[in-house]
Amino acid sequence: MIFINSILVLGALGLVFGTFLAFAAKKFEVKEDPRLTKIMEALPGVNCGACGYPGCEAFAKAIIKGEAPVDGCLPGKRQGVPEKIKEIMSE
Amino acid sequence: MNVFLIFMSAILVNNFVLQRFLGICPFLGVSKKIDTAVGMSLAVIFVMVLASVITWLLNGVLVLMGLGFLKTIVFILVIASLVQFVEIFLKKVSPGLYEALGIFLPLITTNCAILGLALLNIQNNYGLLETIFHALGAGFGFGLALILFAGIREQMEFADIPKPFKGLSGALITAGILSMAFVGFSGMIKL
Repeated sequence: MIFINSILVLGALGLVFGTFLAFAAKKFEVKEDPRLTKIMEALPGVNCGACGYPGCEAFAKAIIKGEAPVDGCLPGKRQGVPEKIKEIMSE
Repeated sequence: MNVFLIFMSAILVNNFVLQRFLGICPFLGVSKKIDTAVGMSLAVIFVMVLASVITWLLNGVLVLMGLGFLKTIVFILVIASLVQFVEIFLKKVSPGLYEALGIFLPLITTNCAILGLALLNIQNNYGLLETIFHALGAGFGFGLALILFAGIREQMEFADIPKPFKGLSGALITAGILSMAFVGFSGMIKL
């Protein structure tokens, strides 16, 4: 009985907090530059740090600010990532 | 028991950082600047008070159902959800503070001061009002220690200190001295 009760209590609590967080995330959604998501999709997403930025997201933000070169992503260089980024940035 | 005594004792006599040695990670991590220290303190106070109230209520339910052994994992669940909420909220309201706090904001989840507070509330058999004041005291105590320490560290940046003591090693020694200063309060309030 204790077994089932534990599962029920923890499951219910998880559900309550999960829904609460989902609503909060929707309510306080931050509008981000649409180019950011596009560049993130074009990047390999391995967060290797070879570009010198902490993770792909930081690199994508730096590109939008114009601080990082479009061909700064080393793993994606041969897969045509710089061309894709150039295309996104010129839209 | 007098709630005011509980409040003051959590700030000064049983300061969570300097007397109980809980929550040292953000204490050393976010104390380089007073601005971020203030932001961090406010986030911690918010999480501490809400987490204490919710965990106190949930503990009652758990004990009623005979599931007292689940309290640790339930408390962690509550704290983690609250911290996530603070993170979402700060990202929207104050992106600057969000960037400045960086990794230490999600790390409030594993800040032992908050879990320690929730467990102490239960251990000391506090009522709801006492729990709220204990949480407020713990939060303000954490803030007091953090802001004092940040102020000292800001001054130390300009001081001419020997090279081996620059940076974190000097900060650790300062934290020890600050903690010794707070020992002066011990025994003032007996609970």
